[in-house]
Amino acid sequence: MTVDPLTLAVISGGVVAIAEEMGWALRRTSFSEAVREGEDCSASVFNAAGEMIGAGNYAPGHLGTSPTAVAGVVAAYPTEEMRPGDAFLVNDPTMNSGHFPDIFSIAPVFYGDEVVGFTVVTAHHVDVGGAAPGSQAIIGIVDIHQEGIRILPVKYFSEGKPIREVLDLIATNVRIPDQVVGDLRGQFNANMVGAAKVCELIDRFGLETYRAATDELLRRSHAAMRDHIDAIPAGRYEFVDHIDDFGPDTEPIRMQLAMTVGDGRIVADYTGSSPVTRSGVNSYLAFTTAYTLHATLSVVGPRVPLNSGTMRPIEVTAPPHCFFNARYPSPTGGRAIVARYLVDGVQGCLAQAVPDQVVASSSQLANSTIGGVDLEAERPWVYYDLTFGSTGARPTKDGCDGLVSGFNTGNIPIEIHEAKWPVLIDRFGFIADSAGPGTYRGGMAVRRDVRNLADLARVTNLHDRHLFAPWGLFGGGAGSLGRIVLNPDRADEADLHSKSIVDIGPDDVISFRTCGSGGYGEPLQRDPDAVLHDVLEGWVTVEGARRDYGVVIEDDQVNEAATAALRGMR
Amino acid sequence: MRRAVSDVGGTFTDLVLQDAETGRFTITKVLSTSPDPSVGAIGGFETLIEAAGVEASSIDYLAHASTVASNLVIERSGGRTALLTTEGFRDVLHLQRQKRAVSHDLFYDKPAPLVARRDILEVPERMAADGSVLVALDEERTAELIAEIAARGIESVAVVLFHAYVNPDHEHRVREIAGEVAPDLLVSLSSDVSPKWREYERSSTTVINAYVKPRVGRYLDGMQAALGRLGVARALHVMQCSGGLATVEALKRHPVTLVESGPAAGALMAGILGRVSGRDRVIAFDMGGTTAKVSILQDGEPQMVEDFEVAPTTKLRPGSGLPVTTPAVDLIEVGTGGGSIAHLELGVLAVGPESSGASPGPACYGYGGDAPTVTDANLVLGYLDANYFLGGDLVLDAAAARQVIERDICDRLDLSLEEGAYAVHAVANASMANAMRAMTIQRGFDPRDFGVVAFGGAGPAHAVSIAAELGSREILVPANAGVSSAMGLLFAPIKFEFVRTLVTRLEAGSLKQMNEVFAELEERGATGLAEADAADGASFVRNALMRYVGQGYEVAIAMPPGRLGADDVAATRARFLETYERIYGYAEPRGELEIVDYRVTAPAPAPPFELPRHGRGDAAGDAARGSRDCYFPEVGFVESPVWDRYRLDAGARIPGPAIVQERESTTVIPPGAAAVVDEWQNLVVSVGEAS
Repeated sequence: MTVDPLTLAVISGGVVAIAEEMGWALRRTSFSEAVREGEDCSASVFNAAGEMIGAGNYAPGHLGTSPTAVAGVVAAYPTEEMRPGDAFLVNDPTMNSGHFPDIFSIAPVFYGDEVVGFTVVTAHHVDVGGAAPGSQAIIGIVDIHQEGIRILPVKYFSEGKPIREVLDLIATNVRIPDQVVGDLRGQFNANMVGAAKVCELIDRFGLETYRAATDELLRRSHAAMRDHIDAIPAGRYEFVDHIDDFGPDTEPIRMQLAMTVGDGRIVADYTGSSPVTRSGVNSYLAFTTAYTLHATLSVVGPRVPLNSGTMRPIEVTAPPHCFFNARYPSPTGGRAIVARYLVDGVQGCLAQAVPDQVVASSSQLANSTIGGVDLEAERPWVYYDLTFGSTGARPTKDGCDGLVSGFNTGNIPIEIHEAKWPVLIDRFGFIADSAGPGTYRGGMAVRRDVRNLADLARVTNLHDRHLFAPWGLFGGGAGSLGRIVLNPDRADEADLHSKSIVDIGPDDVISFRTCGSGGYGEPLQRDPDAVLHDVLEGWVTVEGARRDYGVVIEDDQVNEAATAALRGMR
Repeated sequence: MRRAVSDVGGTFTDLVLQDAETGRFTITKVLSTSPDPSVGAIGGFETLIEAAGVEASSIDYLAHASTVASNLVIERSGGRTALLTTEGFRDVLHLQRQKRAVSHDLFYDKPAPLVARRDILEVPERMAADGSVLVALDEERTAELIAEIAARGIESVAVVLFHAYVNPDHEHRVREIAGEVAPDLLVSLSSDVSPKWREYERSSTTVINAYVKPRVGRYLDGMQAALGRLGVARALHVMQCSGGLATVEALKRHPVTLVESGPAAGALMAGILGRVSGRDRVIAFDMGGTTAKVSILQDGEPQMVEDFEVAPTTKLRPGSGLPVTTPAVDLIEVGTGGGSIAHLELGVLAVGPESSGASPGPACYGYGGDAPTVTDANLVLGYLDANYFLGGDLVLDAAAARQVIERDICDRLDLSLEEGAYAVHAVANASMANAMRAMTIQRGFDPRDFGVVAFGGAGPAHAVSIAAELGSREILVPANAGVSSAMGLLFAPIKFEFVRTLVTRLEAGSLKQMNEVFAELEERGATGLAEADAADGASFVRNALMRYVGQGYEVAIAMPPGRLGADDVAATRARFLETYERIYGYAEPRGELEIVDYRVTAPAPAPPFELPRHGRGDAAGDAARGSRDCYFPEVGFVESPVWDRYRLDAGARIPGPAIVQERESTTVIPPGAAAVVDEWQNLVVSVGEAS
């Protein structure tokens, strides 16, 4: 049957609105700062065939792997055996967004007694047990079972009632059970809110029209992506980058990406990359795929809605046991830093094909965890830090200062952190002269200093680009390197390794400093007035203006003659 | 008792004078003026009193609503503003929350802050989350920084210190020092403006307050003075985003509540009309020249929100605007008004958000507008009468409308003139229907349970089709629909709202604190009401914003007045569980609860409501005004009777297709729908069961 354009628009918009509302319900009922403040979560609506038909504006890693998770649940629990009010959990990296902390909750949508689709609600749980508070340690991890509780598809709500044994088993294996179980309950609520709204939509238009419209949406999205891909010059585009390492005295991890564009398809191949590491950082294929897809979509067809039709023309491959196609039981808790490389790698490849649609390399996030034991209360505590930097420079403008790239999550307010955990944030701000210079400069690096107020705490660092800086494009310079500094400006100041695990005492301060982002175009071509503005705003120092841009600033003004002379000499 | 009100919108300024003795209403609609909208408002006031034949000095009551504060923020046209904050946190305002409002858009930019980074200064001091002082305020440095701000020629400063919502002592001391060092500097404290946790959102709200303060102050003083020169002796009352009126003095201190306040009066009017006519659930649909606004009301009360965003960089994307945390009428605003420009976007027809505004206006205004607008389309479709727009004050140029629609729409999309014009009308409708859906379905309400109250100059021309699409079966078009927002100002109460964050367990041990906070907030409310001479008969409405311990978002729970005791703790717990289950489907019965925010609303009694009789003194007579050809897609152009709204008696029944005209608006009744005039002179349009 054909669906009239207005009905198609209403149903297409409707499934996205339902996904947004599910995410809203999850955040409002959530117990963890990661979900409700950081929005480290996602929500999406699927059809009965296991295809994503609508997604909210949430974490791309979660959304891109949701189809695999639905397939995993349906393989374990045949649809015919599902009942209304059932819901299933899965956190295994072969099916989810690449590490145990991301627990997916999947529920069938019943219309009458028929399963007409699924709702998927994902949440990053701040701790799922294992070797280190936060379950994201890299050093000393040799297999996945050190990383916490592993959940292959398991039913946890049955006909609207929690299955106590399952929730209790999870609660007893994590450090902050109130948050974890509270959020799981919230995930179930969001599943149910979504299912009810899908039924309302079907009530309005009838099941046949709903199915025809959502099928048509997938067809049109697929066709739109093919058209966008065909607008890119066909060819094979290669790019190489390196993750610093996976612990002190380890080798860099090579990422080699080849993107082949043609015939309405893109194949992204990671052959030639390093093998899996014996540490907590590796990337399972579902995760590799999700971020490769996200980045490709951002460059090629940013206006096409995210659904399974949109994903269809993009294929991601890597040889087994390659770093980007890790297999069980390779550990993967610290895979968050890999997303940055996947997103940048796509930019690096496609910059050769469509230079006006890509951005330079963006800041890596610092995602360390600080945890300890409250002896008096007889329970562990876990402070989850999300320090994001900025985005790379663009073909028409500067990078955006203080904006997440890749991940679509937010920072967590300092006042909320301090009200809950034994920490004091000493500062949170930009670092001058950190942006990669260019005709358009990159975004600024960000610094956050966290003071420990507890007796003893363990810091599990998760950072990168302390060695390989975020690169610029077409003459643009690299952003500053990242750092983690223990006790800055004190006698015992020390630089820490990006993946180090350190114990700290009361009043010790850990200073997270993200890298800056890369610039775009020759810095000497930058408008001197833009450089002056940056100096007046404190983004660039007077020395930086001279050194990086050849612009001479005196008395808050551009010395035009001196600038012309200086630029002429270079 | 003579009451005069004015409502400044993006395109028109509406004014109404109510004479309680004669029961007569006088209405004036003039074009808004830019950059200073008070020019148009004062000019309109002179026209108004002249038309009413009364002396300015005989006006007993004045109320005003204005988009002035919103426009300062949207256009970034406030003055240079400074921010003084805790050492270490200069960049909170620029960092924001760092999330992308649009995941896949590599070219997305966050909203630009209202304060330049060079004007953000740090002072050594620090509070802990429990309000204890970790670092004392460096008073000497504070004085130096204040002097520096003043020396830069800055008029207004926002002060945002960490955890000031728990302990405002340091912010209070900064204000004292500023009073000594730079007495003319306007100071906005976060602990006054938005005493809630989340430093970015509190900073944003406080900065907006500081940013609009100088110009809003001059605007309000200027209005008051100009009215005084005309002989008006009374003080002006001004609409806030909460739907309550405040005094000029209160708003000069706290102008952030003026942001997005314009549409609140219209929502109130819709609620009043719904209530008196026995409809307890209504959607208020207000379509003016620049935008359309949608809100919902139950039992006459608007749905409220705790926060909203202003000036989004990406339309309808949460996170792309500047956050404001102050209680406000929950409304969705979309960029489709009569003046919204139709254009092609990637080959697909789109309407708005760009608007032709009052100047140059739609092509048919003949003021030089050269882009096709919704009003042009409505004229081509026969919905508007070229010779009776604004009662004939503005003669529309139909040829100009046809020309721009043919050139910019029909020729490019290969459509006939009427198909092109209807496409513009329908695309605008689809956008507004989406807003209504977002306002109802996405908030858990079924639009079929709601009547639509349609007003604003353009609302009645679009409402019936939109309501039918939504499944609403009844549309109420109030008398004088073109100026309903202004009418709402006549009946709005004076109201103050105060909120304070203090995290307290819901248990008997917290009663002392709970009683203290409510008492403090009620004292502030009483002061505000006393200033407004509105303390008589006022009562306080208390809410506790509550959640499970460990959560981060709250649910508003009504609290009883007076001194709270142990029984109230148990009753509050029960109310929370009930409410939570209604919203989210399941409430864990054993969970510990806490109060996060305390809120007190201090409304004075609303003025007595009296429905306008819209000048029906001029002998009722034959209401038929002939007919004209109107286009409806199912039947094409069809001869449609035209009726004079002012001559329709209660009980009159008008089957569609038909047009009902009044000076400030035109109601379109499509085929299959029918209207009845009710005893309040509302036009009640029903759409067939089939729709």
